[in-house]
Amino acid sequence: MATTVSLPPTPYTVTSDKYESGIWSWLSTTDHKRIGQLYLYTSLFWFLVGGLEAGMIRTQLYGPNGHFVSATTYNELFTMHGTTMIFLVIMPLSAAFFNFLIPLQIGARDVAFPRLNAFSYWVFLFGGLFINASWFFHAAPNAGWFGYAPLTTRPYSPGLNIDFWVIGLQILGISSLAAGFNFITTIINMRAPGMHFMRMPVFTWMAFITQFMIILAFPIVTVALTLLMLDRFFGTNFYEISAGADPLLWQHLFWLFGHPEVYILILPAFGLVSEVLPVFSRKPLFGYPVMIYSGILIAFLGFGVWAHHMFAVGMGPIADSFFSITTMLIAIPTGVKIFNWLGTMWGGSLRFTTAMKFAIGLVALFTIGGISGVMHASPPSDLQQTDSYFIVAHFHYVLFGGSMMGLFAGLYFFYPKITGRLMGEKAGSWHFWLTFIGMNLTFFPMHFLGLHGMPRRISTYDAGQGWEQDNHLASYGAILIVVGTCFFVYNWFRSMKTGKVAGNDPWGGATLEWMIPSPPPDYNFATIPNVTSRYPLWDRKSPKLTAEVPHGSADESKIEVELMGQKTGTLPAPSDTIGNAASAQPVISSAKQLGIVMPTPTIRPLLAALSLGSVFIGLILHKNLPIMFLAAICFVLSLYSWLLTPLEPEHH
Amino acid sequence: MTRDLRMRWLTPALALLLVLSLSACTSFTPNSIFGAHSQFGHSVDSLTRKLVVLGAIVFVLVETLIVFILVKFRERDGNREAKQFHGNATLEIAWTLIPAIILAFIAVPTIKTIFETEAKAPPSALQVEVIGHQWWWEFRYPQYGITTANELYLPVGRTANFALTTKDVLHSFWIPQLDGKRDLISNHTNYIWFTPDSAFAWNGFCAEYCGTSHANMHFKVFTVAPAEFDAWAAHQKTNAVGSAPPAPAPGAATDSAKGTPPVTKIATSVGTTTPAGEVAKPPVATPVMNVSDTTSATYPRNKLPEWVIPKTPTPAALTFDASATGDATRGMTLFRTAPCIACHAIRGVPTAQGIVGPNLTHVGSRTTIAGGIYPNDLHHLELWIKNAPAMKPGSLMPLFGKAEKGDTPGLYTDQQIADLAAYLSSLK
Repeated sequence: MATTVSLPPTPYTVTSDKYESGIWSWLSTTDHKRIGQLYLYTSLFWFLVGGLEAGMIRTQLYGPNGHFVSATTYNELFTMHGTTMIFLVIMPLSAAFFNFLIPLQIGARDVAFPRLNAFSYWVFLFGGLFINASWFFHAAPNAGWFGYAPLTTRPYSPGLNIDFWVIGLQILGISSLAAGFNFITTIINMRAPGMHFMRMPVFTWMAFITQFMIILAFPIVTVALTLLMLDRFFGTNFYEISAGADPLLWQHLFWLFGHPEVYILILPAFGLVSEVLPVFSRKPLFGYPVMIYSGILIAFLGFGVWAHHMFAVGMGPIADSFFSITTMLIAIPTGVKIFNWLGTMWGGSLRFTTAMKFAIGLVALFTIGGISGVMHASPPSDLQQTDSYFIVAHFHYVLFGGSMMGLFAGLYFFYPKITGRLMGEKAGSWHFWLTFIGMNLTFFPMHFLGLHGMPRRISTYDAGQGWEQDNHLASYGAILIVVGTCFFVYNWFRSMKTGKVAGNDPWGGATLEWMIPSPPPDYNFATIPNVTSRYPLWDRKSPKLTAEVPHGSADESKIEVELMGQKTGTLPAPSDTIGNAASAQPVISSAKQLGIVMPTPTIRPLLAALSLGSVFIGLILHKNLPIMFLAAICFVLSLYSWLLTPLEPEHH
Repeated sequence: MTRDLRMRWLTPALALLLVLSLSACTSFTPNSIFGAHSQFGHSVDSLTRKLVVLGAIVFVLVETLIVFILVKFRERDGNREAKQFHGNATLEIAWTLIPAIILAFIAVPTIKTIFETEAKAPPSALQVEVIGHQWWWEFRYPQYGITTANELYLPVGRTANFALTTKDVLHSFWIPQLDGKRDLISNHTNYIWFTPDSAFAWNGFCAEYCGTSHANMHFKVFTVAPAEFDAWAAHQKTNAVGSAPPAPAPGAATDSAKGTPPVTKIATSVGTTTPAGEVAKPPVATPVMNVSDTTSATYPRNKLPEWVIPKTPTPAALTFDASATGDATRGMTLFRTAPCIACHAIRGVPTAQGIVGPNLTHVGSRTTIAGGIYPNDLHHLELWIKNAPAMKPGSLMPLFGKAEKGDTPGLYTDQQIADLAAYLSSLK
């Protein structure tokens, strides 16, 4: 990396109270960067768990009449694989980026509600542990991530399995909703001076849109889940077919959440890729406004397409036609995004770092998922494709080829900002190629399996149906993905010790987060910068790149990086900071020395999350009322204690 | 740089392409959705082919463009400056409009096909009631007064209108080569109809996840000439044959079918063009049913294609006393007072009126048992009665073998089970 020559052996360290290490500092943290890392490591852990589940699925399906696991276990595996990858991997991995990046990209010192942010994380952690604790009771959820009623009602699922699922998802929903409101408030209120909405980095834009989808979609699934919980625990009849319930109620509620959820999973990855591609193409993003509008349009249309998951339920020709057309419409803004990314690369000077490879991987693979998506937007055709392996191929191209590729691009791109060091490019390249090839090898043959009549969610298939070869290929591909992931894990931890020191701006980034040291000090920005264009750093460093991008008036074109009260300065002047990152090792002052007031660390959000979680533990223990009441009282007390404690220490 | 590039990019990319083209090379695809052996199939097939072709064109264009960009605009040693532009209104309008136009080309035939396939079935259609159970299929022909399980007989050239309901959770009715899926929804009746155009045997599957043995909920479909269908229906309407001696091996006398109209494919199947991945259709034999033999009138077993004969292995731990030879008469006596009658009905046996399990009136005439996952022979029947839950995970039929371990204590010795199996097999 050109900017990392002659560097000191380790990144700088900050000696402030908040950056003390130790368990307690993490349990009580309110720092968005630390919470982001908690999300990051938790979701990467679940990624390995979900991957393990996928590996077992592929082992079982390698050949016909497999008996690696029983039918019961297989059903638990595919349910938990889906639930884990959606709710415990892609969403929280996106949340890790929201946490870490949004304040940095908009030039803020933290999120709007730092303690609520901690609460969101702890609730998420608790929900993930809760739903996976089911394995230890031999009662993992087993009705699919979509949990169709009436299979999930008590008469057909008498065990604890669905109890874990229905309660676990509600817990996770609380976390997502709290985070959603938090980020919306942050983005609306805490942007640096001059950062108009149309100057906001695209990742923050996509995050912003995603938060609106979360706060609109999650209440719907919460209603669906609450009704199911009432049925299961308190004998109501919302989905009870013996009492005449209509099971389609569940499907409509679930997919009215479930389809926006798909865009909740993909838009953050779109945002990350929109950050990575311009930097490594050495060009501004092509069609910034159109990228934003198309994101908004996707989100809007995303709420009007849910019933395309239900073309086989017999809605009638009018409804089928309506949802067919809206689904096709959504392909237009999505296609525009693809073409605009290509436009970004066109004429550029492309540098194929690992992050760039993953970003291009998203563009190439999401296209395939998009095309098959249009194919089942056509209901008569979808009647042959739905619930077959064709769909499995489609959504893995969207979620693995799309979301995960984008998130990996983001991980390699922002790793230096998070840890202060670069990830190894060589191991990164192995990771990319093994994942890219393994991914295609696993999921491309599944298109053919579906077209050749293999239904989804089957624990076994008979010999002689013409499905053997493609299942072999898919399982071999899974091995490649596993090996690639090993490279990733190895690279991740090894780079932390031996990776090249990154400096502020290892990639030649354009946005505010690359202006400050890596990892950033707890207060992020000593002085809140003044923003005059979409690419504030390029304005200073390589003005040619942004010559044609709209700018604010000249008098606001100076970025203030001087340290407040420390002008004789320990931090290099802005041009040095940006130009040759670590030519002088910066000595970073603590927030206290700089007179910056930061939120006090507190354990109270964790206590609130724990007591809230205990209410649900009481519920699943056969409605254990004493535990539930006790936990509820603890929750109220911890909320009081939280709300009566000031966010920040006394202002001087 | 070029060499370097080839090493780093082209080799893995080409290797990948090679392997992926392999995946399309499955020549044997008996359940392909591109079969189109019904009017429904033809409508959907032509639409799907349009989608495949358009999708393939877009795929090739976009991916080629990506590769072109990656090669042409890669960073070179000369450190060429990137061309600076950040948008182009004309281009952006173009790539908004072009997809819209392509989509219109898809939308119009889509809407047309929706209204065509979801119209009401003609009143002359054969009515079939499909009732889903965990994990087997009940089929009723109300116009004929027939109730059977896991095997459908349909006359070629006559529209069959299926009324779909479920006794428990959701299921989905799918015969890949004949129709698309239609879900069985509790407290609803759904419909799907199609007109088969060639005589053959087909696989059907449950396509909506329905619990433990979702993977084991198959059925078989036999499309036969109208005369053969009538013979089959007439036979199925009769009472059980009781303890009559076992009929000769079914299908043994295929030549006696002389005089029945030869089964012809009513309409030639779709054109010779096949999409990628579809190399050949299963060879369509022209089986001829043994119509004159009114004691069976079923699809000849020796003409069954390989892929409709289940090959599920039986559990290794489940064994059966090889010396036990069943006696159908003893079996009949036992059956009439056995717990079997709580769940199973046999027409002509007054005590056997259960409706929870499959109707067994002509169970001996079926080719498979247990939701289409085992072939219907004495050996599999015996094992099935002995320990159904071991044969099929989650089976709602309890085990009956003495000394078998399970939720309920077993009742019968291997000898008694062999008698029961012999009786059931005799119900041709």
